Amino acid sequence: MSTVPGGPVDRDTPAGAIHLARQRRAKPNGWWGMVLFLCSEVTIFGTMIATYFYLQFGVHHWPPRGISPEKVAYPSIATGVLLLTTFTMWLAARAAGAGARRTVLLMISLSLLIQGAFFGVQVALMSSDLSRFSPRSTAYGSIYYTLTGTHDAHVLVGCLLGLAVLWFVARRGLTDYWSTATRALALYWYVVNTMAVFVLLTTLSPSL
Amino acid sequence: MATVIRPRGQQYVDLLDRVWGERKGLVGWLTTTDHKRIGIMYFFTALAFFGAGGVEALLIRTQLFGPNGHVLSPAAYDQIFTMHGVTMIFLFVIPMTTGAFGNYLLPLMIGARDMAFPRMNAVSYWIYLASGIFMYIALAQGHAPNAGWFDYVPLASKTYSPSINIDYYGWGLIFNGIASTATSINFIVTIFKLRAPGMSLNRMPLFCYAFLAVSFALLFALPSLSVAALFLELDRQLGFQFYTASHGGNPLLWQNLFWIFGHPEVYIIILPAFGIATAIIPTFTKRKMIFFPLVALSEILVAFLGFGVWVHHMFTVGYPTATTVYFAAASLIITIPSAIQLFAWIATIMSGTPEFKTPLLFIVGFILFFIIGGLSGVMLAAIPFDQQVHDSYFVIAHFHFVIFGAAVFPILGGMYFWFPKVTGRMYHEGWGQFSFWCTFVGTLVTFFPMHIVGLMGMVRRNYTYPAGLGFSTLNALETVGAFVLAAGLVSIVANLLISYHKGAPAGNDPWEGDTLEWSTTSPPPPYNYPVIPTVTSPYAMWDTADRELDNKRLERGEGVFALGHRTPGSTVQDAEVDELLEMPPHSIWPPVTALALAGVFVMLLLQHYFIALGFAAVIALTLIGWHRHGAQP
Repeated sequence: MSTVPGGPVDRDTPAGAIHLARQRRAKPNGWWGMVLFLCSEVTIFGTMIATYFYLQFGVHHWPPRGISPEKVAYPSIATGVLLLTTFTMWLAARAAGAGARRTVLLMISLSLLIQGAFFGVQVALMSSDLSRFSPRSTAYGSIYYTLTGTHDAHVLVGCLLGLAVLWFVARRGLTDYWSTATRALALYWYVVNTMAVFVLLTTLSPSL
Repeated sequence: MATVIRPRGQQYVDLLDRVWGERKGLVGWLTTTDHKRIGIMYFFTALAFFGAGGVEALLIRTQLFGPNGHVLSPAAYDQIFTMHGVTMIFLFVIPMTTGAFGNYLLPLMIGARDMAFPRMNAVSYWIYLASGIFMYIALAQGHAPNAGWFDYVPLASKTYSPSINIDYYGWGLIFNGIASTATSINFIVTIFKLRAPGMSLNRMPLFCYAFLAVSFALLFALPSLSVAALFLELDRQLGFQFYTASHGGNPLLWQNLFWIFGHPEVYIIILPAFGIATAIIPTFTKRKMIFFPLVALSEILVAFLGFGVWVHHMFTVGYPTATTVYFAAASLIITIPSAIQLFAWIATIMSGTPEFKTPLLFIVGFILFFIIGGLSGVMLAAIPFDQQVHDSYFVIAHFHFVIFGAAVFPILGGMYFWFPKVTGRMYHEGWGQFSFWCTFVGTLVTFFPMHIVGLMGMVRRNYTYPAGLGFSTLNALETVGAFVLAAGLVSIVANLLISYHKGAPAGNDPWEGDTLEWSTTSPPPPYNYPVIPTVTSPYAMWDTADRELDNKRLERGEGVFALGHRTPGSTVQDAEVDELLEMPPHSIWPPVTALALAGVFVMLLLQHYFIALGFAAVIALTLIGWHRHGAQP
């Protein structure tokens, strides 16, 4: 054991987790795992956004005739509000490193409220879009709904992950594992929020 | 020099044996998280799919033995050649290299006790197995994918392929891609975070560099395939219009997305072969690799450049010359890092004292085939030439020299090379050499004449050809070659199977190998190393003083970490010990999760979307179960 700086710690207790977080020089494995997973997800978004413009450059009218360009206001406001969770999730991640469990619970809950509301607004916006045009009639509709749907799915999965982390942190406390999980969750939301901006700009590009 | 366990160290070894003991029997295999057992399962599964893909290849060759062949109907032929490609690429080569070789060897080579995420490693395997079964159910039903392994639309669209065949392809590849993505994440974190103390990045074996490059390439290439297949299924099942030109879609979107994945994929297939070559060559030439840093950089550069050349598969679609010329140039640039490695291998062999045992013979065969395939690759990068021979057997010859000759020969050599480590027994050298010559001659006779019939105008994917075109003799020769090749491959499997029961004991280090795996027992214990080794160079086994030090540390109980499933986690660049990781023991959840995921994909295939959602909820539940006891993912 003597080769390990700081000696063995009990990573399953909050005190041990704080100690570990302080002495650790590299990022924990869970953090790396999430970063790499997100690389894959960002590539998926990148591929879809590239598809959007690839299809746009192949036709004369984009969106096709009969489909009015997207309204700018509502989706922009919704995305703007979602971006606030970048800050709350950052606070949650920071509190996780310091072992401040109540702050973590509070910040994840607050984020979940905003994220859940955003998801609700997205569903409403999508159903209003569906009454205007179908994903089946044109390639524009296909990529529009696939791109926004993929983004919404990421928001939904993020909410479920948030709920799981909230529940486990509440029950188990900020062990090293759940402290790392909180940081990984924050990373997930940083990326999803960034993607929200790209998806928004892409889908609004004909209106801008 | 191998780890020698002296009496004082024995108490620690006994303790480790108790802590790391695995369950026995079928339950043990189902619930294992040991990277070696998972590697072995990958090996046998991939080998089974290799057999299936091989039988398909023989069916194709039998059909083409003479003109107007009728062994297979045209429809059956379409399914067989499509499944041959899909099987060899997605169910054999990638799982065999990353899954079997990578899983078994990588943690050993970097001196770790397991992968960074052992349970995720297990779930990757079960997902891979399920996705393979998924696609072979299609073949058993007579509804296998039948539009070629690159599945071009509009042929693959609902209009022209209305039956379920293509849906097996679309969902099957997304399903399979999940396993590969998880595996690549696991490899990268393992390489970054679990290296033995002292194994800074510049002291990492070249084998590991190759696997690092492959993992990154997989991570960034697979999304493109998954998205393309998702679009395809949305078009086919829900009537979306991604690929329908009449509704603003674009069939070329498929080609672009497919090859943005497909070309890096070629390097994903061949880079592990480079890694295996760089492991075998120093051992059998008794010298260190020449140009170590250049070879390491070249391995990474090949993976990186592979993302910028995809349009060279599309020179005949009518893109402007400015576009195609860029991609031709980019394709030619890849010859530079490839040639650096090629010269480094040849120079190392020539300046060392080569001992041409079976593994090195396969590497020499690999180098020869890589040169042949590389030269025809340079020819194909020339746009006018490519436009002439596009879709002809010349292309088939080219890529079989690269992804069979060059990619699979090191796998075969690697099987012989590490057989003593995995089983503790030696293979039969005489039969080994025979099997090399048999596969070598078989490969040449099968694939070389394809260059000629291709230049004569024989087109790929046609189920037969008429007499009188001058194709007949060469095709008959190719078919004979294919059976010689198959005999060679069977003799390898037979040699290894018989040697497993009757081979001479191998000891820890029969080859005086250069990397760490040779320091532990054959086969290695579940915890790999009784004492976590310390490393001062990429040729850790040749640093005898370091290994002697390991033995002394074992006596003192230093670096043993016997009080749990523990392995040190280290800093990314310098591999200084940073923390002690608690690795999870066996778990039943990985196969359960994979089963639920299989449920999702079967329901998607059958268009029961709400039931698919139900299975997704089951996955969420299994993930909660996954976290019920353990601490680590």
